[in-house]
Order: sequence, then C-alpha cells, then structure tokens
Amino acid sequence: MTSTQGVSHEQLIHDIPMTARPDMRVPARVFADDELWSQISRDRSLEQLMNVATLPGISRYAFGMPDMHEGYGFPVGGVAALRAADGVISPGGVGYDINCGVRLLVSDLAADAVRPRMQELVHELSRTIPSGTGRGSRLELSDAEVDRVLAEGCRYLVERGMADVDDLEVTEANGSLTRADPSAVSQRARARGSGQLGTLGSGNHFLEVEVVDDVLDVAKAAVYGLVRGRVTVLIHCGSRGLGHQVCTDYVRLMDQVMGKYDIHLPDRELACAPFASPEGQRYFGAMCAAANFAWANRQTIAHRVRHVFRQFFGAAGTLRLVYDVAHNMAKLEEHEGEMLCVHRKGATRAFGPRHPETPPRYRGAGQPVFIPGSMGTASYVLAGTDEASAASVGSACHGAGRALSRHAAKRSKSGHEVRRELEAAGIAVACSSSGELAEEAPFAYKDVERVVDVVHHAGLARKVARLRPLGVVKG
Amino acid sequence: MSSELLSHTAEVKLRVRAPSLGELAAEAGRALGALQLGTTPPVASSPWRDLEIRAPDREALLVEWLNELIYLAETERWVGVEFEVLACDDMTLSVRARGMVVDEPPSRVKAATFHGLKIAATPAGLEADVVLDV
Repeated sequence: MTSTQGVSHEQLIHDIPMTARPDMRVPARVFADDELWSQISRDRSLEQLMNVATLPGISRYAFGMPDMHEGYGFPVGGVAALRAADGVISPGGVGYDINCGVRLLVSDLAADAVRPRMQELVHELSRTIPSGTGRGSRLELSDAEVDRVLAEGCRYLVERGMADVDDLEVTEANGSLTRADPSAVSQRARARGSGQLGTLGSGNHFLEVEVVDDVLDVAKAAVYGLVRGRVTVLIHCGSRGLGHQVCTDYVRLMDQVMGKYDIHLPDRELACAPFASPEGQRYFGAMCAAANFAWANRQTIAHRVRHVFRQFFGAAGTLRLVYDVAHNMAKLEEHEGEMLCVHRKGATRAFGPRHPETPPRYRGAGQPVFIPGSMGTASYVLAGTDEASAASVGSACHGAGRALSRHAAKRSKSGHEVRRELEAAGIAVACSSSGELAEEAPFAYKDVERVVDVVHHAGLARKVARLRPLGVVKG
Repeated sequence: MSSELLSHTAEVKLRVRAPSLGELAAEAGRALGALQLGTTPPVASSPWRDLEIRAPDREALLVEWLNELIYLAETERWVGVEFEVLACDDMTLSVRARGMVVDEPPSRVKAATFHGLKIAATPAGLEADVVLDV
C-alpha cells in the first residue's frame, strides 16, 4: 500500500486563505500528503508562496506542487497564473535557468544487453557531452547562428541535421516559441551562452541511462512506446549562462520600472511589470528566445547521445524521443476560457488528452510528464490529465524536491561514499566533482514515491511507468 | 570582516559582515570567489584590473557587483580573489581587483538574487544575507 492510497483528494490539498496576510490577492494551495506538508512547512517555501499570491493579476491560487521547497522569489515547485490582460510577468517567477527541463528517449535495447558495457558507456557519454562547471561546447556558433537558435530553437537544428521532424512533434511547443525576440537578448547573455550549446552544466543537471522497471498503465505506456526492460535516456538541463544572464538583465529592468507601474511587492526578487507593457513584452520575447536556446541545447545533447549509442550498439541503439518538457517557464495558455501567463518555477506542464497542445500521437493518453527521482532512486513517467487544467492550471511537479540543503548533504556523506553506494547498487557514475556528487545524493531529496503518489491521487497526472537508473552522468 | 554560509534548501545563502559598504562588497566578492573555485586555494595570479559598478541603491549595488563577478568568471575565466575598494557610496562602487584565470569557466553560481536582501546596520558595521542561485 502506497502512502496516499485510501487518502481522499481533499486530504491532499492544503489551503492558506487570503486572510493569512493582508497583501495576498488569492489563497495559496499546496498539493501534499501530511508528511510532505510537514517537510514543506520546515523551510521558507510557504512564506515565498504567500509572496507569490500578492502578484498583481494573479488568478485562482498560488499553487505549490508536492515537491515544493525554498527557492528565491517563487518557491521551487511554485505555479502562478497571471491574467494576460491585467496581470504581470516576473522574471524571478521563471528563474535564472529559463526552460530548464527534461527529455526522455527510449530504445529497443534490453537492459541486460547494456549492463555489461555500462561503465564504458557512461564514460563515453561524459567524454562526449561536456558537463560540470562551465565546460564549453564543441559546437562553435557564429553570431548569426546564435540568432537562428534564439529565433527558431529546435527547428534550426533540423536544418543542421541534428534533429528530425519527429523530434519536434514530441517537444513542448515543438521546441520553438514563435514569440522569441533575439533582439531582446543582450550581448552579455550571448557572450555567456554562445559556447555552451550542447552542454549539461552543473548543479542538479544530469544525464541518466535508465531501464523501464515497471509498467503501471499498459495502454498509456504502449502509446509512449515504453516497454518493461528496455533502456531509456533521461536528460535534464537548461539554457545555461545565456538564460541566467537574460534573467539577471530583466530582474534589474523590472526592479527599476516597478515604481512607474505602482507595483509594490514583499520580495524584490519578484520584480515584475504588466505583461502587456513594453518591458513585459520585451522580457517575454527574451525569455522565449532563451527557452528556444534551452530546447536546442537538450536536442544537441540528445543528438550526441544518439551518436554514442549507435557507436556502441549499432542500429539497436536507435533512440526515439518520447517527449521534452520545460520546468522553468512563463507560457501564454488558455484555461477555462481565460488567457493566462502561467509561471511555472520548478514545475511542469501536465496537459491532458483533449488539450490542443498535446502532441497528436499522444491524444489518447495525455502529455507525458516526467518526475525524475534522484541518482539512486526511481524516476516516473506519468500522463497529464484534462482535470489538471482546473485543478492546477495544467501543472504537476518536476522532481522529488530537495529535502536537505547542499551544505547539509555534504556534511552527511562525502562524494566518494555516495559514489561507492551508487556503484554498489549497480549504478555506473561519471562525475567530475566529488563535492557536487554529495550535494545531489539520493538522501538529499524527498521520497519520490510519495511525491508521485500525491500527483497521481490528486489527479494532476497519472502514473504510467517507473524507471530505474543504470548509469548517471552528473553535471 | 567575515562571511559564512547559512542554511538554504536549494541555493547558497551567504552572510557577509564588514565595517563599511565597500568592504562588505569586497568580502562578498572574496566569498563568491571561494565558492567558484571550490577547494582550490585562492592565489591571485592575474594583473590588477579596475571594475566600476553603478546601481540605484546599495542593495542593488551589491547584487550588480556579484553579478558582474559571475559574468567575468564565465566569459573570461577570471575569478576575482583580491579586492581594494577605491571609492564607494550607495550608488557606485569602484574596485581594484586581482584574481585567477582558471582552465574551465566556473558556472556553479548562476546569479546573485535580491531575495530577502537587506543591508542592515550592526554595532560592528553592516551585515547582508545574499541568496545565490546555484
């Protein structure tokens, strides 16, 4: 029996009324069972969520996902729907790693065929895909090519032979936001990002080789092409320095213009401007361009992973993209007839079978939703639901969520110990920094099973398959 | 002058104390350099360079200063470790700096944020808590 079986839907909803603070414009709503609620209550994430509830034009609730934890401005796992007509857009509500996200690729390889070569495979993947602190890309782009990436995202990579049309169909927004405005991306942002296309970066970014460990919904798993015992690859990264600088540039701008719009907020990191204002539109254009860069980044990495798999396994190593979904983004979406700028900070879209943006081939199942665990634990594939549009503006959580600070994690165990434990569990590891391996250790995260159970039973997304890690390349 | 890391679930929260705003910025810069270099002992090896920052108020000045150092680290592979404050008021900071040029640009720290930032007066001078996105 899982943690939330037998628990009513209502017991998974924790509301903070508007009366909790005079500046809240809407209530806050957190999806969590009692244990997760207790964990969430221990850091400053609830205070941050109440701050989100003060944003002008916020609609419905300030939502907290079950993996919510303390961030800056928004909590990580925070979702806010701001009315496009009279609401604001907040760069801090998207975060510095614009379109940090996850993509899942699946092969026809049986795990048993891959296990004997896993150490060698992980080594080759880490050699081929730059990771860690700032390691540069081998893909040098001219200024004109950077502009094409910013304007077109993955569509440009089709022309370069690094993506195919099938990849675009199963990438959120087809990997290319048409509202992107490359002219709104500063030279400083370009300088930080131009050499980083095709790199993982550091922190909690990773590339994992996994096996489909269990199929929990046979029909939907078949739609996604997930078969028990088959090998998959999960890639987690974002827009690298380019996105970081776009956010830095526009937090500064919004901070300076808020007075003009008579906006007063409890946290300066929530700096914002009306969505329809020149500043709001300029940020939205820059953010869309950075999002395109992030999709192109994950596509470039996937292209290289495919090359390595073909080198190792021949035609059997062909990897098909299941889906690519963003975690940190502000998107214009219609929910219940209202046009909203939905900010998801460390949260993912979870659109159901009937949503027009769900890829045609997934209309029978819903959009795939990925909830990665941590390096040593399971990750889950779920399917978005039509009910989530009303329940959480079509959102679900993006991971297990941190439970321990990085400092506390490093104090608890060394990177060498974490590596030994992972290897003892049969997981091959490639990580250039022992310290960062300790920071991202499985015990630093919440229980992914519990988090996924809440998402499932709250109806935000439904479980489809469980994945287990075989090898990890840590960014 | 001193700096320490405070508890934060996901990011790095830096507490800095110094007698003046200029020294607070210098100490925050040193702490950032140590974070970016990890376990490497900070030994300045590059020539001195001048850096100048402008911002509308002193909290923004501190954020701008740290973000400038993050930008230089990522684009020039230059990590500042020694700072001499030439001039400082609430809206401008002029610094002479020396640092290390590293093989790989350190991108561990993405940005300095305004979250909860307040430069507070203490009996010994000033104190600020800065959350860095990592």
